[in-house]
Amino acid sequence: MNVNLKIWRQAGPDAPGKLVDYRVEDIDPSQSFLEMLDKLNETLVKKGQEPVAFESDCREGICGNCGLVINGIAHGSKGGCTTCEIRMRQYNDGDTITVEPFRAKAFPLIKDLVVNRSAFDRIMSKGGYVAVNAGSAQDANLQPIHKDKAEAAMDAAACIGCGACVAACPNASASLFVGAKISQFTWLPQGQVERGSRALKMVKQMDHEGFGDCSNHAECEAVCPKEISIANISRMRREFTKALFARS
Amino acid sequence: MSKKPTLDSKIPEGHISEKWSSHKFNMKLVNPANKRKHKVIVVGTGLAGGSAAASLGELGYQVQSFCIQDSPRRAHSVAAQGGINAAKNYQNDGDSVYRLFYDTVKGGDFRAREANVHRLAEVSTNIIDQCVAQGVPFAREYGGTLANRSFGGAQVSRTFYARGQTGQQLLLGAYGSLMRQVDEGNVEMFSRREMLDLVIVNGKARGIICRNLVTGEIEKYAADAVLLCTGGYSTVFYLSTNAVNCNPTAAWRCYKRGAAFANPCYTQIHPTCIPRFGETQSKLTLMSESLRNDGRVWVPKRKGDDRKPEDIPEAERDYYLETKYPAFGNLVPRDIASRNAKEVCDEGRGVGPTGYAVYLDFGDAIQRLGKDVISQRYGNLFAMYHEITGDDPYETPMMIYPAPHYTMGGLWVDYNLMTTIDGLFALGEANFSDHGANRLGASALMQGLADGYFVIPYTLGNYLATEKPEEVTTEAPEFDEVAKEVQEGIEKLMSIKGSTTADEIHRKLGNIMIDEVGMSRSEEGLKKALEEIPKIREQFFKDLCIPGDTKDYNKELEKAGRVMDFLDLGELMARDALERPESCGGHFRVESQDEEGEAKRDDENLCHVAAWWFQGEGNLPERLVEPLDYEYVKPSNRSYK
Amino acid sequence: MINLKDPGISSVFKKLLTGFTGLSLVGFLIAHLIGNLTLFAGPDVFNAYARFLHHFMHGMFIRVAEVGLLAFFVLHIWSALSVQYSKRKARPSQYEVNTYAGGPSKRSFHSMYMAISGLILLVFIIVHLIHFKYADHDAVGTMKLENGIEAVNVYKLVVSSFQGNFGYVLFYMLAMGVLCSHLMHGIWSAIQSVGLTRPSTIPFLHTAGMALAIALAVGFFLLPLLIFMMRGTFDPEAVPDYSSGHAALTSLTSFFPAA
Repeated sequence: MNVNLKIWRQAGPDAPGKLVDYRVEDIDPSQSFLEMLDKLNETLVKKGQEPVAFESDCREGICGNCGLVINGIAHGSKGGCTTCEIRMRQYNDGDTITVEPFRAKAFPLIKDLVVNRSAFDRIMSKGGYVAVNAGSAQDANLQPIHKDKAEAAMDAAACIGCGACVAACPNASASLFVGAKISQFTWLPQGQVERGSRALKMVKQMDHEGFGDCSNHAECEAVCPKEISIANISRMRREFTKALFARS
Repeated sequence: MSKKPTLDSKIPEGHISEKWSSHKFNMKLVNPANKRKHKVIVVGTGLAGGSAAASLGELGYQVQSFCIQDSPRRAHSVAAQGGINAAKNYQNDGDSVYRLFYDTVKGGDFRAREANVHRLAEVSTNIIDQCVAQGVPFAREYGGTLANRSFGGAQVSRTFYARGQTGQQLLLGAYGSLMRQVDEGNVEMFSRREMLDLVIVNGKARGIICRNLVTGEIEKYAADAVLLCTGGYSTVFYLSTNAVNCNPTAAWRCYKRGAAFANPCYTQIHPTCIPRFGETQSKLTLMSESLRNDGRVWVPKRKGDDRKPEDIPEAERDYYLETKYPAFGNLVPRDIASRNAKEVCDEGRGVGPTGYAVYLDFGDAIQRLGKDVISQRYGNLFAMYHEITGDDPYETPMMIYPAPHYTMGGLWVDYNLMTTIDGLFALGEANFSDHGANRLGASALMQGLADGYFVIPYTLGNYLATEKPEEVTTEAPEFDEVAKEVQEGIEKLMSIKGSTTADEIHRKLGNIMIDEVGMSRSEEGLKKALEEIPKIREQFFKDLCIPGDTKDYNKELEKAGRVMDFLDLGELMARDALERPESCGGHFRVESQDEEGEAKRDDENLCHVAAWWFQGEGNLPERLVEPLDYEYVKPSNRSYK
Repeated sequence: MINLKDPGISSVFKKLLTGFTGLSLVGFLIAHLIGNLTLFAGPDVFNAYARFLHHFMHGMFIRVAEVGLLAFFVLHIWSALSVQYSKRKARPSQYEVNTYAGGPSKRSFHSMYMAISGLILLVFIIVHLIHFKYADHDAVGTMKLENGIEAVNVYKLVVSSFQGNFGYVLFYMLAMGVLCSHLMHGIWSAIQSVGLTRPSTIPFLHTAGMALAIALAVGFFLLPLLIFMMRGTFDPEAVPDYSSGHAALTSLTSFFPAA
């Protein structure tokens, strides 16, 4: 099969960008979307042109490195998967596909489709953990955890930090990412000690990074490769409120 | 050229169960107030690197942590699905530290160092405690206790898991701890940096040279010790289950500076991967080995039977693992499962469009346990398989085929995890020490975290307290020299201006590697590989094409540098395989098998570690030997029948 | 602790505020609608209700409620607009192509134009207040209630307003359409904003919110429409005949004692 592509090209953070037309021919429908881009790049490189810069690593939907906005939807229209998990059989021969980077002020563009998501790391550094040093833990089975709670924690912990929630949000909000991390620890006994300060500190850093506020559009949940529920955002707000009252 | 290494393993005296505790007591300590004065570089942020950087930060060292990804959380440990082993014996099924030790030594086909493995088994229990304390959401039973599953190569249930995301959850635990140390100012994080060389001052590793992958800047960093936690080299096969950016460059450049590279031919081909479909694939996808708990592996008894799986009656199916290995059945270790799959496919009984696949059937399990239970256990794996292949494993058997997955070989390290270069340590998959010739499932996560959380914090302290490294900064002339060499290397690649892409060369190398240095190896094939690889290298240096600029985000330049090292490493793997005319673990030499076609070890001549010592470009490396003594687990025929 | 003097008060705090004030305003709308429905019971009940509101607790209730409402409106508008402001700042370069993702997404025309529908509502509220609350109440005169007390004839004001001018009815119809749109996303969103949802309740609350939005808008609009269409039933000059001893009316007016 063949497809036409409109890909966002931008040489650097301050350079002007635009959509550039390409055509990729002879695609195997079993190929992944990124393998199709690999093919395009190989042709470009052989012509001595600069390939389209995009990121990917594990190519099995877990590292969170890949992330493209395909035809206006982060990680494409299929839902519940990352860009690298998209297969070309989802498209029709002759389709025109627009590919853009994740756009947000907090994710400054590096080149073409590559953006800098280190804002997430800085948010995590403000409380996305249980502060326990190596070597000081008690036996793991001393503290039983209700299976349902462990599952709920796992649901929230499934986040891969890809940033699609931010990319898809009409406000470029990071609420789903932050909400999921805060929620995970509320379900676990280990997370209780820092429960309040975690919510306040992570939210503060989120605001500081320049993400937008949340308007409950729930686009984030729709594009989340791990289908993390916006109930986590609701939970973040409860945690935040509780922490506010507990502190004052 | 540095002094010839002695390969002194520095195994402590005493009974195997006492070695680590007495060693911990005998090691020197760095005074808490002095830790702040020591700088440590940690390269890589996977389970080994992330946990090491975090733990050293917690102790108060000044740590600089480097990764090639945009965030430390993306290191390839994230992709591990199945689980992590620990000798907790929560199931009351007879597990113990000694049994985990025994299973690992046996699973490694008696090519691992006993003392290291025992230490690994000892600290395995601490790892689970540590991770639970960090809030890792492991699977639980209804009573609230931790759940376990069983994995290949073990007859006990000792694997802890978090859905199909165990790797990511453990990594997030380590990453969280790391980010806490970043926030507290003990760790400085450098992401999007690729280590391109090691700087040695007065015979000791004192720093690294990196390329900033965004600006292209060549950067110099100095420290009192360098920890290499850069993973393995499965991507030498081009198609593997590893992430596309996984690469051995950092380790390889250290090898070229004098760190011996041990057992490069020990690679693991994972039995349960989605089969290859064509030429344009960029990677292979692993399906967790835990699937073999409930899935039954079979092929048609008749050659070329192209009926649909559901149309093949029970009597005409060959459940070859269950018949051949009644004791372990579908749960035989990885190397055995992989080799048997290759064997039946080579016989012409493989299935699928290419004939290189076998069935993994959940029909019985779904009937026995119900679809719900199966979906709870493997739901995400089934969904992933469905997505990639278009087949629904609830309805029709999965098709699987082995794929390169893990490399047991790596930089040679002593008991303290120090390489043959003083001050250079290697942790996790980057070293060679714990898995011998074959790694058991769910042991990689265990080893990475063991090294980072519970071994290096002690042994590094001992090194620093003993050596008392003098002050060195990046102003030292050695830094400029190495940086200049790195710069020249890059310019050399850029100046070729040919018409072949790095990927094309990589694919070519990969084909040779998988054919001749893959699941089974022969003298003839290995010699062929040793002839072919230099030809590919020649093409590489003649016709490589890298567009763009060095002072920019330039993926093609990154890839080219790595492919250059893959070529060298591939050659060394073939050479190592050739010099080991026995079959052991993941290394199967067709010349060395018994009457039944099972692997035949040569304990008399080859019960040793082969560590290769670089002798300069164009020269053959020297093969050094560390003999392996089995005091506790006597080498036996590794039977799983 | 959140520093209220900090110009960048936490986004989550602002969201709580928008949600809390929004929910309160929805509560006000429900009460308002129920009050409006007394109009169907005739001039005496409606006027008694209006007089009761103004005299309850010696007039303190209405004053406190008005100040409270005003404060809630201001907070609601301020916090919601600051979300809009952050949105512009947070994505300086827009997508060339942007599509709704579907599935669990709640994004819709309504959710995307909350600020605009809100601002239209603000205009409507101002017109609405000028017309009824700050109208010349002396001009409409008074009416004697059953218990003999004279009350301002608000009934006449309302009925004549809607019967006098179809354009005015139309304006209300459009305004209620905008209200409906605002609440289609607003009600569920406010519940989510104050953190009262669970994974299992989100679909229900989303649907229920939309149902309530439609019910409120229809309820509010029904009144002007019926007044306009059913001139026979709604007579601005109607004077109840208490002598006939209309039992139902008597009991209804007694709900609103002369405070």
